[in-house]
Amino acid sequence: MSSTFCAIQEGQVNALALNKDYTQVAVGGRNVFKIYLIEDDKFTEVYNLRAPKHLGTSFSCNDVAWSSIDDNYLATAATNGHVCVWNLTKMGKAMQEQDYQEHKRTVNKVNFHTSEPYKLISGSQDGTMRYFDIRVSTAVAIFYSNTESVRDVQFNPHNPCAFAAVSENGSVQLWDVRKPDKYYHQFTAHSGPIFACDWHPETTWLATASRDKTIKVWDMTNKPSPEYTIHTIASIGHVKWRPQRKYHISSCALVIDSSINVWDIRRPYIPYAAFNEHKDIASGIAWKGDPDAFLSTGRDCTLYYHAFSDADRPASRANAQAISLNTKGEILYAKKIVVSNNSTCKSSIGLMRKSSTSVVPDHFHQAASLLQYYVKNVQQRQESEAFLCFAKNYALTGRSLSEMCDHNAAVAMECGKKPISTIWKMIKTMYGEEFLQNTETHTSRNRENSISGLVPPSVGIEHPINDQVNRDDDNPVAQFSDETENEDQVDHVAMYSNGFPTYLNYRTGLPKGDFSFGENELDMEFDGIGTELRNSYRSFQPVQPVQPDWTLPSEAFPIRHEILDRSPPADQFPNNSPDINEDPLPLMTSVHDHPQGLLTVRVLPSKISWDPGNLVVAALKHHALLGDIQTAVCILIVLGDQRKFLTDLDETIQEQWILGYIELLTRYQLWNIVTQIIKLSWIPSINQLNQQSTRVNTSCSKCNKPLQRIGWLCDRCHSSEYALCSVCHQVVKGLYVWCQGCSHGGHLVHMQQWISKNSMCPTGCGHFCEYR
Amino acid sequence: MFEAQEINAEHKDLIHDVAYDFYGQRMATCSSDQYVKVWDQNAEGKWILTSSWKAHSGSVWKVTWAHPEFGQVLATCSFDRTAAVWEEVVGETPGPSERGIRHWVRKTNLVDSRTSVTDVKFGPKSQGLQLATCSAEGIVRIYEAPDVMNLTQWTLQHEVPCKLPCSCISWNPSLSKNHPQMLAVGSDDANPINGGKVFIYEYSENSRRWIKLETLNSVLDPVHDIAFAPNLGRSFHILAVATKDVRIFNITPDNSDPSGVTKLDVQTVAQFDDHGCTVWRVCWNVIGTVLASSGDDGTVRMFKMNYVNSWKSVAIMKGDGSLAPNDGSKNLSNALTSISQTARYIKLGSIITPKEREASWH
Repeated sequence: MSSTFCAIQEGQVNALALNKDYTQVAVGGRNVFKIYLIEDDKFTEVYNLRAPKHLGTSFSCNDVAWSSIDDNYLATAATNGHVCVWNLTKMGKAMQEQDYQEHKRTVNKVNFHTSEPYKLISGSQDGTMRYFDIRVSTAVAIFYSNTESVRDVQFNPHNPCAFAAVSENGSVQLWDVRKPDKYYHQFTAHSGPIFACDWHPETTWLATASRDKTIKVWDMTNKPSPEYTIHTIASIGHVKWRPQRKYHISSCALVIDSSINVWDIRRPYIPYAAFNEHKDIASGIAWKGDPDAFLSTGRDCTLYYHAFSDADRPASRANAQAISLNTKGEILYAKKIVVSNNSTCKSSIGLMRKSSTSVVPDHFHQAASLLQYYVKNVQQRQESEAFLCFAKNYALTGRSLSEMCDHNAAVAMECGKKPISTIWKMIKTMYGEEFLQNTETHTSRNRENSISGLVPPSVGIEHPINDQVNRDDDNPVAQFSDETENEDQVDHVAMYSNGFPTYLNYRTGLPKGDFSFGENELDMEFDGIGTELRNSYRSFQPVQPVQPDWTLPSEAFPIRHEILDRSPPADQFPNNSPDINEDPLPLMTSVHDHPQGLLTVRVLPSKISWDPGNLVVAALKHHALLGDIQTAVCILIVLGDQRKFLTDLDETIQEQWILGYIELLTRYQLWNIVTQIIKLSWIPSINQLNQQSTRVNTSCSKCNKPLQRIGWLCDRCHSSEYALCSVCHQVVKGLYVWCQGCSHGGHLVHMQQWISKNSMCPTGCGHFCEYR
Repeated sequence: MFEAQEINAEHKDLIHDVAYDFYGQRMATCSSDQYVKVWDQNAEGKWILTSSWKAHSGSVWKVTWAHPEFGQVLATCSFDRTAAVWEEVVGETPGPSERGIRHWVRKTNLVDSRTSVTDVKFGPKSQGLQLATCSAEGIVRIYEAPDVMNLTQWTLQHEVPCKLPCSCISWNPSLSKNHPQMLAVGSDDANPINGGKVFIYEYSENSRRWIKLETLNSVLDPVHDIAFAPNLGRSFHILAVATKDVRIFNITPDNSDPSGVTKLDVQTVAQFDDHGCTVWRVCWNVIGTVLASSGDDGTVRMFKMNYVNSWKSVAIMKGDGSLAPNDGSKNLSNALTSISQTARYIKLGSIITPKEREASWH
């Protein structure tokens, strides 16, 4: 089988026609009228009827037809209305045997009769069709279509007297050549102009092609009925059935699409084969008598020979499968249904299927997909819900580092995530260890504490010291630990006596407060103190590990930690340290109250200071790498100020992590936690995320004017009456909720109560309020 | 373990793409029958068809959701050489107690391509509303909606010639400021002589152009799908490629070059020929730790990273209701016959979990 080849023409080619043996091809265009011999791999020019020596006429070929009976006769249709008949046996000017100048406008189509040798028909823009006998110099019959223009006329191969004509008003007319007075049938086939039609060579089908981008196949047996509709991407200019393939039809577009498509009419959405050789719109198709080769002409001045085997098969490249995963790990999966050999009809698919008698051994037309939805079962869901559990229950602020670590470790443990629990414990331990090794005073206190810890929790010892520190500070210093801080202090202590869970609920109102720490309570205390001290240790580490002067600030820092979430720590720091330096003595004495601790200190400072920063960074990065951005971000947040010691961690990386965590939370629609993270973020660009476009104007519920100045006083009505809570008629300060429909609203609680019982607006405005 | 539920999509031809929205609560399907359908999950977890419309005059290849920040917005691309942007609008409320009828409106039609538009993807949210398309003629186009409130106006910002016919495109979703915008493009060109089939482009702020950084020369077979893993905190990017097998690449950018041109270090970290045939799709979970792939063998396979650069097959799901053992699964492809299930729920039995290893960091 030969492959695709082409011949370049001097100008645009409008049409082509094959002789009856499919050995020669005539091409016609504005400046082209040639006949080629079709060889295995090339075209050889036989005649050039447009050469100056033949004829100087300027009318261009709009269509060309070759007699299917007598190989020597050709007919051309011209844009100026001429229909010419050419006799190849003659020479020179005599070749043009007839020149019918009857049509008043462009002749769109010319066609030889399929069985009568000298008969041909033409269809013109003037709305008429003329039937010629080439032995007679005038038309033997004229058919008036009563439409503006006839675009195509085709003799019915199954009925020698009948032909079909299509016109620009979208109608198909069926005529009998013997009855030129009126068509015997007419129907509207398309919503736009019909440009071409083609009779099926075997069945009674007629295909029509239109500007409405469809090809329709009509069964003409009795009353024409649409059998198939092919939706294409552009107006169709030409259609030709593929020989010996019942369901295949070729088409080329009039605009946009320069490819020639072969469709299986049973699968009307995607071409069975596509030929993309033409660089411009294809203007004609002619099958070479067998299904494996056809010729085409194009506006790109080419004549192509296409081997079917060279076709592009768009469907084979089309994605037959699709998957998508969601946040819950559910999977959507669509796949092509594999058709078994004995293609039994699957009624459930809704596949368009007609009787398939002459089955071509491929299943191209049987295309259907199965869409499946995989849901994780309970076991696995728990796994993926750990993220949600962590997001909701992690303590990120409001407590000392160790407490948060312990809390979070417990949360992780409860979700069965031991490794994550471990890293929280490690975070705690690493800094605790640090403190033990390097800071003498605190070591002493811890030692003392751990010793006293052998007996029940010694709140009594801790509290006085803390208080003492406070008092010591307060006296010489500007009143930096004010009332609230003292309250905090009390809270803190209360937690020690009441136990951890109470503390949880009391301070943060977190729902998950009922972790039982049991015997760990002791540790808890130990760590609580450890953190406070560690905080201070951390601040001074860059200076020197052991420096007597600096023991004092470290004592003072528990306070600093207490107010951490009240105001930015950076402000306190400068105020704090000088003050403490002024009055070191009382603190020293307080330390000396517990001399037994000092013994240990003498040994420990000799140890080399070890900075776990790198290790922590490595751990966090590892978690980030494994996709566990949650742990990384939460640890960073919990570390608080100590982040600055993680020198290996770029701020851009931190930003990326936090943004990543925020995106994940957003996917789970955990808006409150997103806001919390944004608020806790230390990176300005993230902090500003929820500072933009925060203005929401409510409308006055009387005049509908947006309340711009104050949320409850309308500038137009000069009354606050309509902006009050609809239920209690008070000004709403705090959470205001209102219906978008009637703009009545009120206190969140009141409206909730109201809506739970009623569906109408509490103001009685008659609106069925919607809160969603 | 997974439970499979069949959804009767009632598309009249092949379904070419399914896409969850950002929250995973809606889905869109598109098909050769030129329709796009949008589904919502009801309280019982069943998928309910909420919209269905003829979107194109050719096969609809891909459907993708924009970030919900921009509204309920879809983009589709088609064989008809166009890409379209759709927005769901709520119609006039018919009565005081009823919600308005929602329907999808074509906001724009992007008609620049002269051939089939094979893929369309929205860019990362941080860059505003950007849309990348690629086409069979081998051109990647980047569109932008300068006003995110006006989806009717899109400007063609860049046309990046790709030399080979493009089949798929993926934005790098990295949130880091250190990572300039990056695109990976795959080609389904079948000729190995034409070289690598995956191209990586980066947007250069200096030259305001998309620059080709790398061609993955190890991928010579047609590429059907490509997907960057969500990058929530890695310094490198992970790219999955669906070709005759599943491949995973680690792509580490190096910005240290003084000329400002990023250099990429590309490593093949995994290559799975488990499907034993053409792989059509690859898809990541939301945190980029699990890769799902589907192939001509009719199975979905899942791969998971155990630790850095070590990937393992963790699960196989067969669509016909039977369970595939982890090994020797290749001979099962012919067991896939036709869909004849009547049961709406098919229990697939336990999915192979080779010692579910926890991500331990020490």
